[in-house]
Amino acid sequence: MEENITAVAEEPTVVEDSAAVVETTEEVVPPKKKRKPINQAKLQDNIWGWVFCIPLIVGTVWFVYSALIMAVLLSFTRFSIGTGTESLMEYLGNYSSHIATTRPIVGETEDGLLIMGEAYSDPFVWYKQIFTQTGNMGAVDAAGNPIMMNVMGAYLFNTVFYMIGIPIGMVLSMFFAVCMSRDIKGGNLFRVLYYVPCVASTIAVVYTFKLLFDAQGVINSLFGSDLNWLGDHLTWNKVSGGNSQAVFMCTEYWCQGIIQKSVVVIMSVWKGLGGTIILYVAGLSGVNAATKEAAQIDGASGWTIFWKVTMPDLYPVIFYNIVTSVIGGMQIYAEPVLFWPDDKSLTTISNTSGYVSLIWKNGLTPPSEGGNTMPSAGAAYGMFLAIIIFFMTLFQFWLDSRKKD
Amino acid sequence: MDNEMITAPETEEAVAPAPAPVEDDSKQYSPIRYAFGAVLAFFGISSKTHRASKKRAKLVGDIVTYIVLLFGAFLMVYPFWWMLAGSFAFTNTTEGQGSLQSLIWWPEYSTFTAEAVGPFYNYSETFSRGMTKALVSILSDKMSYWRAVLNNLIYSIVPVVVGVITSASAAFSFAKIQWIGRNVVFFFLLAAVMVPGPAIMSTQLAMYTDLQMVDNWSVMVVPGLFGSIMTAFFIRQFLFGMPTSIIEAAKIDGAGYFRIFCGFVLPLSMPAIMAQGLLSFMGCWNNYMGSFIFIDPGSEWINLPHAMYLMNNAYSVNNHLGPVIASSVLCVLPVLILFGCFQKLIIGSLMLTGSKE
Repeated sequence: MEENITAVAEEPTVVEDSAAVVETTEEVVPPKKKRKPINQAKLQDNIWGWVFCIPLIVGTVWFVYSALIMAVLLSFTRFSIGTGTESLMEYLGNYSSHIATTRPIVGETEDGLLIMGEAYSDPFVWYKQIFTQTGNMGAVDAAGNPIMMNVMGAYLFNTVFYMIGIPIGMVLSMFFAVCMSRDIKGGNLFRVLYYVPCVASTIAVVYTFKLLFDAQGVINSLFGSDLNWLGDHLTWNKVSGGNSQAVFMCTEYWCQGIIQKSVVVIMSVWKGLGGTIILYVAGLSGVNAATKEAAQIDGASGWTIFWKVTMPDLYPVIFYNIVTSVIGGMQIYAEPVLFWPDDKSLTTISNTSGYVSLIWKNGLTPPSEGGNTMPSAGAAYGMFLAIIIFFMTLFQFWLDSRKKD
Repeated sequence: MDNEMITAPETEEAVAPAPAPVEDDSKQYSPIRYAFGAVLAFFGISSKTHRASKKRAKLVGDIVTYIVLLFGAFLMVYPFWWMLAGSFAFTNTTEGQGSLQSLIWWPEYSTFTAEAVGPFYNYSETFSRGMTKALVSILSDKMSYWRAVLNNLIYSIVPVVVGVITSASAAFSFAKIQWIGRNVVFFFLLAAVMVPGPAIMSTQLAMYTDLQMVDNWSVMVVPGLFGSIMTAFFIRQFLFGMPTSIIEAAKIDGAGYFRIFCGFVLPLSMPAIMAQGLLSFMGCWNNYMGSFIFIDPGSEWINLPHAMYLMNNAYSVNNHLGPVIASSVLCVLPVLILFGCFQKLIIGSLMLTGSKE
């Protein structure tokens, strides 16, 4: 390495010398320019290569990357749609005047007096809000005061709760995939039937499940239960019959809406099963048959073969599936919100909505619904989500690399 | 059938010799245990007394597999049957009020049994008055249900057809044209998949508002025209399997790249293009987020899921949900028919994805 560095360092002087030499000789005899003829075919390749992929590049840069950069920039400001006189581009053009500066505020009191003051716009105001904002989660403590807790924490808890569906779905779909890859007639038909929920519209499916899980609905009459699936705010005290107000056990929080959430888990497992099954069936058909047969001849049982031969071969498919489902699971929004419409108030905690609801509440609630469309706040919440997802993915890849060593 | 049972020879040996040590006595099989083993063997399970034949084991395994798979398939399909049956529940009167809640196979009080309304009452209600009723609360009467269907068709056909072609052209460029820096550009584009949609959606709203694309058709159509990265990725994967010699032969014959793309690459990669196009058609047809974010409910450019959402809000007030379920059926049906027609292509493409990863 050191040699390389010295070589690089020495090079410029050499080049300068030679340049000087060339300059002096040029006056005497102008050297013939020996330019390499351009390879026409290669030129064509380079031009047409760009031409063919330019639409995709333009689309990606325009709708994803520029939006991402603008989101990062906006998250340090207080841009809101429709209230200011500046458009987004003008606003970003004057970016320096919108971030971390003191600027005068002009306002009128009831007496008609003009008040001048100075406000410091804090660039991290939204990021601070993510961590500090507390909300009422609709429960009261023993003294009758509403229990307050961190809004982001509660919503993130809901999101993570919904991820229970990922392992359940994986085990179930592995089970069904193994069943399907026996050589039976009609395996294809089953594959198609199981994939049907994946192509159906989420909103139609949610409205159906809403009625299936109704208090007088099919599920209850089938199992003879009288659970109020969609409306029960189950608390720890209701489960245990106790009267605990201990912060950890009860909190009115860990168990709140647990049945409601489980309906969403059931629905997302049901809806996502088919896609995973197809991935696994494809993976299972690629498992080395010779190794399997060898193991069979050596007297391994079916169970052992599955764990020692099939699973290691399936590992890449499973890993891919985990990574994509965790990324998708972090972004859950529509399912719970279509079941139970979200409260638009920022300080009301929903028992069911996922983290993306906060982006929605802060950044996208239109003025007609009593909100303020504040892309800056939404962008800050979104950046936090992106960072969480990025590190979760990174962590999974780290685990993956550690396993291989 | 019973002949298939094989009595293991070593067990007979264990039963027959009389002078046996004490430990062996405990190994002697009681008649109950022997009978139990026979029953197990009948069901294809080998035990210490009987070894089941392979044929029997396979037969029993197949039967169990069929039962399990049929049960699962029933669970998968039942909600759709329920949806269809529910669309015939007559929920407009007090008698029919609970008929959706208590529905298991067929509504007790359906539009077939209700007099004075036709069997397709819920559907005609959806078509004629559904949107009018849904839009009363937001003081707009620009919409009809058919308009929402038409919008949805525009939003899902135009961007998908154009977008798949642009994706395929990009895939062709990345897979078959040797230009400098193509891998760098490809990974630059692929990295965009990592950006979670919700993280940038509020900024996109600001951006589209700035471009005056909000509340009209363009916001649902224009971004799709530029193609999607994942589609390009899959078609690229497909093109890697296509022999380059075809393209080289065409080049020698004097065909330009554009000619090669239209004449060879598009027809030859048609299976991949069709499968990806169908999948993205389904995605666009079911796309609720786009319309929720970018299109005001009072505008005439909302799509079908958004219209359904508004209808649900209006009809659930009186618990009159028959029309909502009918519109759910109408929303799901086209996609299901399409999937049924092209299931081989779609499942095959998805399997290819699975085996590639």
